[in-house]
Amino acid sequence: MMAQTPSDEILMKKYELCVALTYDHGEWNQYWEGTYLRGNENIGTFTRAIMMPMVAAGITDKLNLLIAAPYVQTKSTGGQIAGVEGFQDVSIALKYEIIKKEIGKGNLKLLGTAAFATPMSNYLSDYMPYSIGLGTNEWTLRGILHYQLDKGMYARVAGAHLWRGQTEVERDYYYNNGSYYTTYMDVPNAWNYNATLGTWLFRYALRIEASYMVLKSTSGDDIRPYNSPQPTNKMEVEQVGFFAQYYFKEKLKGLGVLAYYSQVIDGRNIGKSTNIGVGATYQFKVKDSQ
Amino acid sequence: MVWALRTSLKLKTHNNLNPLMKKNIITLLTLLCVALLITSCENDMPTRANFSSYEFSGLDENGGTWKPVLLSAPTQIAIDAPADVTSSAYLAELASLKSATANLNGTQVEAVEYWTNNPIIRWNEIALELAAKYNLIPGPNADGTYTLPNPANPAGPPSFPFAHPPYTCRMLAYLSVAQFDGLISAWHYKYAFNRPAPYTVDSTIPSAFTKNALPSYPSEGAVVAVVSRDILTAMFPLEKDYLAARAEEHLNSLIWSGSNVASDVEAGKYIGTEVKKIALARAAGDGMKNAQTTKAKSDSMKAAAFARFGWSWDNMESPQRPVGLTPLFGKVKMWNVPTVEEVRPGIPPAPGSPAFEKDAQEVKDFAKNLTNEQRKIANWWSDGLNTYTPPGHWNRFAKEFIIKYEMNPLRSARTFAYLNMAVMDAGISCWDAKYYYHYPRPIQTIPGFKTILGTPNFPSYTSGHSTYSAAAAEVLSYIFPNEANQCRQWAEEAAMSRIYGGIHYRFDAEAGIEQGKNVGTYSVNKAKADGANQ
Repeated sequence: MMAQTPSDEILMKKYELCVALTYDHGEWNQYWEGTYLRGNENIGTFTRAIMMPMVAAGITDKLNLLIAAPYVQTKSTGGQIAGVEGFQDVSIALKYEIIKKEIGKGNLKLLGTAAFATPMSNYLSDYMPYSIGLGTNEWTLRGILHYQLDKGMYARVAGAHLWRGQTEVERDYYYNNGSYYTTYMDVPNAWNYNATLGTWLFRYALRIEASYMVLKSTSGDDIRPYNSPQPTNKMEVEQVGFFAQYYFKEKLKGLGVLAYYSQVIDGRNIGKSTNIGVGATYQFKVKDSQ
Repeated sequence: MVWALRTSLKLKTHNNLNPLMKKNIITLLTLLCVALLITSCENDMPTRANFSSYEFSGLDENGGTWKPVLLSAPTQIAIDAPADVTSSAYLAELASLKSATANLNGTQVEAVEYWTNNPIIRWNEIALELAAKYNLIPGPNADGTYTLPNPANPAGPPSFPFAHPPYTCRMLAYLSVAQFDGLISAWHYKYAFNRPAPYTVDSTIPSAFTKNALPSYPSEGAVVAVVSRDILTAMFPLEKDYLAARAEEHLNSLIWSGSNVASDVEAGKYIGTEVKKIALARAAGDGMKNAQTTKAKSDSMKAAAFARFGWSWDNMESPQRPVGLTPLFGKVKMWNVPTVEEVRPGIPPAPGSPAFEKDAQEVKDFAKNLTNEQRKIANWWSDGLNTYTPPGHWNRFAKEFIIKYEMNPLRSARTFAYLNMAVMDAGISCWDAKYYYHYPRPIQTIPGFKTILGTPNFPSYTSGHSTYSAAAAEVLSYIFPNEANQCRQWAEEAAMSRIYGGIHYRFDAEAGIEQGKNVGTYSVNKAKADGANQ
């Protein structure tokens, strides 16, 4: 009876379905130009809002399918550049529980997720920072290790590699430490790590977590002085966050609500974003498993 | 991960996974792998024109009689007669060439293949790349002031130069004119002395390029290497070492390709050195050093326009830039147009007038309902910061036509010379209009207007893209008549792109196209009379 994401340990049981809708509001007024943290009055405060519907389906008790289709909107308080909005990248993920073992006074789970994301609309990636996405295919392979005490406290780590392809832009010359006579830009691959500490309360009705996330591109160039970012940039993020999810048990059974807060504490070629999010989830059985 | 899945499947088989489920999962995995392969296909990302040395469509044996741009005559630069091919001096050079070409390593072969027998192409690419590299606008200091690049202290920060469109078109003009004059001089001496190529003297000498009857003294490659290195170093002083290394490789490749003996190269280097002095002398006195004015001068130009017309342009950035981009570029010495006044367009409609409102409404309408096609056109022609600028874009087209029509280096240099003289004249004419009329941009006249392209730091009327493109199209249509329709269509599209982008009104673009055509015609008329008989 739990809602989930591709990077947590929750799985639907066979024939269970969960639908979710989250709203994320992110803001920054400083960004890292390479490793130099700066503001830019011609951007002012930059906002990125994401409305994301998601569906998770239990194919078996150990295998889940997750589909998400975020809608993104960007704008800024300064300058004259127009913000944009639209459907970003649809993602399809398969999450599989590889191992589940009782150890000590708790349970250890190892899960693996394979995900694929691709742009859903003809948005322009080469319109940064206002572009709604990187405009490329992305393959992710993630391993999740979760240890939970019977009492309800848990710790979780996850590691993933993101393979990103090329994005097609609307000009056939660009500079990336040299000339490129092509409409294709190489978007760097990345490593992504998470560490989470959390606990269940009130007999598994409430879950609260503190987390730390790192994302590091394996290649790429830095934003040039007072210049726009480019999809070829080497992006790095270090972020901390808090998350809470409440599951209704009696009345409104199957419904859940969630909220989170995160803050980017260090980065490279990205905005120093503060994000808050809220969401609702609804879980139900499609068919009884005999 | 696949291994982990297979292992766990084996462990679980006799627990709760039936054979059908196992088969489904393996099918799913296989589909995943196939999908991964399909979506991983990567496109080539070329970093330069992908062409090899080609047989020239003609040798232009009379090239030495063409009228140079700066030289008083092809013989203004004097070089000694070469040693005869039977002389011991020459034979020693020939032997040296033979051994040099005998054991080329991979790097040397690559260099020959890169430079090709038309190095005009490669030096133009290098020029465009440096333009892109230096085309960055300085940001504000912590106190809100702006520090501009300073040639006396090129490292800055900010680095010198800021290779904006006026700077870039001027850089390309001097480069191309110097190359052209140098090659006219070289062609004169080639046919005056008629010393045959090394592989003609000794057929055992391998030639990396198609053999032809072009005499090899002096070396045209050497002229181009020295002229290009020195003009580009003057324009991009921080690139001195880089350019020296490129020229060194180019000069060496002339030997490695079997094209020239050492004395061919020395004579070519000498011509190159003398031509660059003449070109840089013109550059030093052409008025560019006064183009970026003081605030006092800039304010007085704005006040004059306001008194004259009742409107003026303001920079809308935060913090506001105190001076626009090169307000006095319009006073730089043109190549082929006698005065800016004779090509200055008429007065634009006053803001608020019906004619203005019509075109302002059009800009707003496009912004509100931009189609994917229009957005792409805006981005395609943008050529803004961090790119080679609109002049660079048209040099790219010229490069592609030169390769397509298999022009020899002299004719290639002629193409770039007239193209870039026309484009620089167009820039000067355009900037004259911009600061004479001092017309405000859409983001200034339309409150709250947001655009998909950034508005540059100079007034609106007329559009630089339109002026540059129409002038370039005029020259390229003359030199490549089969491409005339394509060039004119490109120029029209480049002009429209600025309206789609929200940074120009239609009257900016239409006047600019007209202006560019007029300016370009002066260069075309000069070309028609230069003896190349085209």
